[in-house]
Amino acid sequence: MAITESSGERRALRDPDVRLMLEVRAGSAAAFEELMLRYQNRVVTVLEHLVGSRDQAEDLAQEVFLRVYRSRHKYHPDAKFSTWLFTIVNNVASNALRSQRRRREVTVGSTPSASSAECLDSMATAPSGQMPARQLDKAEMREVIRMALASLSERQRLAVLLCKFEEMSYAEIAEAMELSPQAIKSLLARARVNLRQLLEPYLQHGEFPGAGRKSGEDRPGDAAGPPGEPASPPTPDT
Amino acid sequence: MSRELPSLETETPATPLEERLVAYLDGELDAQESRAVEELLSRDPQARETLERLERAWHLLDALPRSEVGDQFTQSTLEMVTVAAEDEVRREAAGQPRRRIRRWLLGMSGAAAAALAGYLAAAAWTPDPNRVLLEDLPVIEDLDEYRQIDDIEFLRLLHKEGLFTQEAGDEG
Repeated sequence: MAITESSGERRALRDPDVRLMLEVRAGSAAAFEELMLRYQNRVVTVLEHLVGSRDQAEDLAQEVFLRVYRSRHKYHPDAKFSTWLFTIVNNVASNALRSQRRRREVTVGSTPSASSAECLDSMATAPSGQMPARQLDKAEMREVIRMALASLSERQRLAVLLCKFEEMSYAEIAEAMELSPQAIKSLLARARVNLRQLLEPYLQHGEFPGAGRKSGEDRPGDAAGPPGEPASPPTPDT
Repeated sequence: MSRELPSLETETPATPLEERLVAYLDGELDAQESRAVEELLSRDPQARETLERLERAWHLLDALPRSEVGDQFTQSTLEMVTVAAEDEVRREAAGQPRRRIRRWLLGMSGAAAAALAGYLAAAAWTPDPNRVLLEDLPVIEDLDEYRQIDDIEFLRLLHKEGLFTQEAGDEG
């Protein structure tokens, strides 16, 4: 492994992940295992929120690590290791989601499944008999948030996950998603506006907005929504 | 439940103000832009409210579960990579004889080229023995007769007068 001076070596000295990856490049199996242990939960978390299935996320994560190994000679320590890794995650997830879409197109004709946003809507409008007035418990709130995230576009979701979970800068997200930082800025702004609109009914008191109302009444979110804002879940401007 | 909500492919556009506020929350504005946003927030309650709502929704994401894989995942992934590594080694090993032959051929071609260059250089710089023989042919042909002449000075005199070259010229 000949890391010749320059920024690469300086970065390697500072960033233990880069050092490990350079060791992987030089053929160290122990370094690969160490890197995997450091990143496997993070990669699976991002993939699970992207594809919506734990099993598929684990399969894809295995493919990611396999690609990391196979591409080890192409790795240059110019960027953070995590940025390079999540570029691979982005590629693997995009391929998987594209295949999913194709399969879905093929099976068109079957009853369309409810989108996450529709599920959110249904939770919000559930009849009082089924959804008594009460605080949302943590698991329910998590489910609401998960569905709100799932209702974002794939690109928005990935940008949100990298920003929120990986604390990556716009420049790093741009590199991982092969977009410009300006595009990421717009993408994240749209994502956060969408999330705010989707979660608005749940923001105030952590209650199902429909609690205590009868089915068919005004949208429960009206009551819970903050003043001056449309209380219903968002309608896209497009 | 017929209300249309943002689907995967439709995106609610953000206003320029929302875009600035989000970048501010993410710490992506430079000092001057940040100051401008802070000034705006100090005098515009609606901008403040927008910022707070964006921030609250963002904080809700902290509740999302983080996945934790088991040892089985680690083990099977490492096994997959090990198999890939073994395949790689096998392929490299299989490719080695071909590479060796290519390297050997290259080496041999180089050696042949060097030998040819050496021969040409030697031919250019060393006298051609045939040429010397040809030049001496008139003498060689009558060598027995010349040997009978004991006087070397007489032979030199003949040579000086061009006898030998004349004979060679006549024959040529």
